[in-house]
This record gives sequence, C-alpha cells and structure tokens, in this order.
Amino acid sequence: MKISKGTVMAALVLTALCLGAAADGWVVKVQTTALRKNPQFYAPVVANLKAGELLTQVSASGAWLQVKTAAGATGWVHKSAVEVPRYALMASAGGARTQAAASQAALAGKGFSKQVEDAYKAKNKGANFAGVDRMLQVKVTPAEVKAFLDQGRLGATGGAQ
Amino acid sequence: MNARLRLCFGFILAGLLAFAGCSVLEQGTQILGQAETVVEKGEKAVDTAKKLRSAFSDFSEEEEYYIGRSVAAIILGQYPPLNNAALNRYVNKVGNAVAMFSERPEIYAGWHFLVLDTDEVNALAAPGGFIFITKGLLKRCPDEESLGLILAHEVGHVVAKHGLQSIKKANLTQAFTAIGTEAIQAYGPAELAQVTSAFEGVLSDIVEKLITRGYDRKYEYEADELAVNIGSGTGYDPNGISRFLQTMVGDKSAVSGKGWFKTHPTPEQRLDRVKSEIAGLQTVPSIAVVRTQRFKSAVASLK
Repeated sequence: MKISKGTVMAALVLTALCLGAAADGWVVKVQTTALRKNPQFYAPVVANLKAGELLTQVSASGAWLQVKTAAGATGWVHKSAVEVPRYALMASAGGARTQAAASQAALAGKGFSKQVEDAYKAKNKGANFAGVDRMLQVKVTPAEVKAFLDQGRLGATGGAQ
Repeated sequence: MNARLRLCFGFILAGLLAFAGCSVLEQGTQILGQAETVVEKGEKAVDTAKKLRSAFSDFSEEEEYYIGRSVAAIILGQYPPLNNAALNRYVNKVGNAVAMFSERPEIYAGWHFLVLDTDEVNALAAPGGFIFITKGLLKRCPDEESLGLILAHEVGHVVAKHGLQSIKKANLTQAFTAIGTEAIQAYGPAELAQVTSAFEGVLSDIVEKLITRGYDRKYEYEADELAVNIGSGTGYDPNGISRFLQTMVGDKSAVSGKGWFKTHPTPEQRLDRVKSEIAGLQTVPSIAVVRTQRFKSAVASLK
C-alpha cells in the first residue's frame, strides 16, 4: 500500500475537522437572533447574534441548543436559527478550491442577493418592493407574543418549543 | 547468563519485538487504511457538495428570503395592503404565535403577516415567511381559532418549502449554474444579466403556482395537516379551520374567479381530511371566549 505523507496529513486534518466541526459547530443562518439565558424565546437575552456567526455546542434540550460564542458568551439558540457549516467543512477537506469558493459564496450570501433584486426591480416596475419593506417594519417581539399567548390562555399544551 | 540462555532470550525478545512490530505495523496499516477511507469519504463528500446545489432545498436561508421578497412584491403589485395598522398588528400577533409553535420559529428576517384590501377569499404564503390574508377571507372567519388555523396553514407551506418546491427542475439548474461556485463581491454586467434571468424563471414558477394554478393537492393537504398540529400545539381549537371551511361549502361566489378555492381542493374534501387529522390528536384544545372577544373587536372595523 502506497500512501503519501500528504494523503495522511489530509486525512488527519479531515478527521480533526469532522470531529471538531461536524459534532458541535454551528453557524447562524438567520439575519439576527438572540443568545438567550434559558431555552425559551422570551428568556432574557445574553447577546445578539448575526448571520454567519460561528457557535460551539455545549449541550442540547429539545429543539434548543446551548452554545458558546467566539467571544465566550454562553446561552441558548433555537435550532431553526442555525445550521451545520457544511460548506466550510467540505472546503477545508483539502484541495477543493471550487468548494472553498462555493462555501464563501454561500456564507457571504452570494447567489440571489440584494444586487440581483435591484436588477430585477429595475426591469419590473410593477413589483411593489416599498410595500414589502413596510411589511417588514411591523415587528412583534417574543415578549409581545408571550403576552398575547397569556392573555388568550394559549401556549399551555405545547409550550414554545 | 550462559550463551544458550542468552540465545534463548534473544529469540524471545526478537519474537516479542516482531510480534509487537507486526501489531504496530498492522495497526499502522489499519490507521492508514482508515485514513484512505476517510480521504475517500472526504472526496465523496466534496463530490456530494458539488451536487448539493441542485435541489430546491439547497437555496440558503438568505436566498430564500430574497426569492420571497420578490414574490411578495409581485403579490403587492396586484393587491393593495389594507391600511389598518391595528388590525395588521393583531394579525401579526396571531401569526407569530402560531409560527412560534412550528418547526421553524426562526426564519431569516422574521415572520410577517399582512391583510390585503380585497374581497376575494384568499391567503398566500411567499417563501421566507411573507404571509398574506385577504379582507374577504378575514370577514369569513368566525373566531380567532379559524384565523390562527388559516395562518398556521400558510406557515405550514413555508415550513415545508412548498413555494421553493414549485420551481421547475430546468429553472433550478439554470439558477445554480448562473450563480456558479466562485466567491465574488458582486456580479459583472454579463453575469448579473444571467443570474437575474434565472431569478425571473424561479419567481415565475412560484407565482404561477401560488396565484394562478395553485399548489398540488398533496401540498394543500399537507399544509392542512401542519395547520392542525401547529394550531393545536399553540392552544387553538383545531376545529376552527372546519368552522371556516364550512362557511365555504356550496358558496359559488368564493369558488369562482381568482382566490383560495380556485387554487385549493374543495372545502368538502378538506373538511373530511381535517376531521380525521383532529381525531388523531392526543389533546384537542377548546375554544376560549376571551380569544373570540378580542378577535371580534379586532375585525369590527372591517366592512
């Protein structure tokens, strides 16, 4: 069997990455979210998180993950706000330049982006983007949802996951 | 130690070393073998990564948001929003409450709900969490449970990515090919034209399904199933959706023209399925007067 040093090194790097990144590494996939003190949407906020931020898993409870930020803060995020940084993992496997590029493209939000929307908007005057922006301005905080649930005697059977 | 004994020790030592060496070698070979497997797996993973951007589910959360923004802009180009901040706020509270009990409480830019100023009976969900309900549909809702279940049905469409699933294979391929794999800060004019054309293809597939032809029946039934689960998980009486559907039975005015019942299975078909879905629930929450009261006061201004 003939195995080059490079192959072994690549294998070791890949193994380390597989063990390190796949097992407990997460990346924020939503625009913004909160790191919370407890696994509940209306729990106090420990820190604010942004898309692309890397997190390390500490533990899990149902649909919630206890994570640590790069800055060292620990708290809870809902699993729907994060994903496994699969492109980063693939890209680091060694020699896969295209995949590295793909990962950056995906993580940097390339593809269908603001630039593409602007180009589409310029050609389609009938589309009402101002209306969409006004729609986005109406925000309901988790605390307001909690008050609404309580006032309507809701949330008893399931509990906000 | 005599020479014979020394020789004997020598043999034993050599044997032990050989054994140990073999074992080390064997282990080494195994490790190297495993290493090769890992490398093979790595290569396979990289191959898989190439194929990853080929299905509807391979759009990133942010791309889904941008698709959804444009679909929402097209909808708002056809239907004006209802100018009633208090009612829109109430609908956003009901919608966010049910979304919190879905599989996807967190979505790229949050869940947003809007009442459309038309008497057509319709509700629409664009990818990325942009949900619309018409004044005509709202006027037919007898209580908050019905509204909650209808919004949960629309949330269900987004959770299950039915909009993205409507994109035809050819347009998906065109999109991922145009987007490419190279990381760039911004597209040049030629690339931008290509990506924008792919974007238009994606939008037209979704809008055609959403507004003109309607989703496949299996998606509508799946969304009803999700509505019953999400709605009852929130604490709403899931029979709320049946009470609404019942108002539509035999009503030709709501079924004709554009609208929910042009694009959905008949109310009777849906009622049957919803009934058996509710029968399978462990706990069925009851309707509460406090919710019906706040619903009535929220929609009181509707004419």
